[in-house]
Amino acid sequence: MSEDSTLVQERTEQETKESAEQGRTWQPIILGILCNWCSYAGADLAGSSRLQYPETVRIIRVPCSGRVDPAFVLKAFRKGFDGVMVLGCHPGDCHYAKGNYYARRRIALLQDLLKALGLPEERFHFEWVSASEGNRFAELVQEFTEQIRRLGPFKGVVAVENKSS
Amino acid sequence: MTEIESRIREEAKKVLENGLVDLVIGWAAGSVPFRTTPVFIDNAQDVDKLVWNPVCANNLAVYLPKMAKNRKVAIVAKPCDIRSIVALIQENQVKRENLYIIGLGCAGVVDPSKLESAAIRLSDIKALEWEGEGIRIVTVDGEQVLRSTEVHREMCLACTKREPALYDVKFGEAVLPSQIKPRELPELPEERQKYWSEQFSKCIRCYACRQICPNCYCEVCFADRVEPKWTAKKAVPEENWMFHATRAMHLAGRCIQCGECERVCPVGIRIAELMREMAEAVKNKYDYEAGDPKEEAPLLGTFRENDIDPAQHSE
Repeated sequence: MSEDSTLVQERTEQETKESAEQGRTWQPIILGILCNWCSYAGADLAGSSRLQYPETVRIIRVPCSGRVDPAFVLKAFRKGFDGVMVLGCHPGDCHYAKGNYYARRRIALLQDLLKALGLPEERFHFEWVSASEGNRFAELVQEFTEQIRRLGPFKGVVAVENKSS
Repeated sequence: MTEIESRIREEAKKVLENGLVDLVIGWAAGSVPFRTTPVFIDNAQDVDKLVWNPVCANNLAVYLPKMAKNRKVAIVAKPCDIRSIVALIQENQVKRENLYIIGLGCAGVVDPSKLESAAIRLSDIKALEWEGEGIRIVTVDGEQVLRSTEVHREMCLACTKREPALYDVKFGEAVLPSQIKPRELPELPEERQKYWSEQFSKCIRCYACRQICPNCYCEVCFADRVEPKWTAKKAVPEENWMFHATRAMHLAGRCIQCGECERVCPVGIRIAELMREMAEAVKNKYDYEAGDPKEEAPLLGTFRENDIDPAQHSE
């Protein structure tokens, strides 16, 4: 990915066009940042249970939701992802005892920042998903994908008329 | 020379002579009457350089992490500068025992760029003084008093914390503003995004906002990192957005609202508005105020079990 391309977005636009031509619904591209111990295991369970969910989410596995630097999310939006979801262990269930408690404050402030900057808050989703919640993971991806589909492709962090490149 | 100015000088002289500190950081007269410059005094003979007037803008706390590392330093500080000092102490960037704080009650600081719009020729100005809530400006033709809303910095127009929160000695009385200027950010998300797009598009990536900020003390800033590359150096709107958004996140719950970032910005980006918005969110969600001595730990370095839950629970 070249440094200031919005590759994800270009691809989304291309896919939108192709999908329209083939009469299919447009598929958003969603970044999922999942904690290794709960949510990733939950996603794994969804897979091994052969649950069906949209192939919209690209998953990055992190050791803990406490590892999620809010800049990960900002950069994902800057690169043009249509939606970003961060999933972690339920409060009290953290493998490292308190990582998700720190994450909770950071994510809450990140939501305020997105709001202050005027980014659509609906494009960011934060949830607690445990290792046994394979079903829930599949439903979550399903719901979030529909939500993003309703919003349409993400036009970028900068309002369109000011775009230089 | 005002009475407070002479008391600051006496105090500086005293602490240098009795060996309590090795260095005094304060403001000195600038090359023109509507500017001041930071001054570093290590000799008691030089204390007469110190001044205190409505154009003492610099937040001098920015020098502390490096200068007060291995020696004792006295610092002349406004209430906002003191909040920076408190934040630096809470984040273990400076030791309280290395500091001697000469705290000042404040009546708001002047934004020199507003003087021009108040139809005063900058070259005519001889002196600026506080006059109640307003500012008395002495020019070659005489003098006039301007209201605070006409000449104060934007940040000062919203500031009610004008008493020093932590000090070893305190001079001067605070004058509180009779009315607070409301925020002017657009309400609708689309309009906000457009507003910030316009603001950030102006950025030339000089990093003055980061350099002046007492809280931006990281040895290697994320913006200078190559691996991982958070943001390109190129001054294009998207990269500027990434820089300012990430910086705002890094300062969430830490910014003490001195407005230095906005003051030094050469292209006039209203960075402090974003900081103010975040500070309000922090106050609402956690009842936390950065730079308040009653806070025990940095906001994001701690948690409570009953903190607000940001999960959206779509089940």
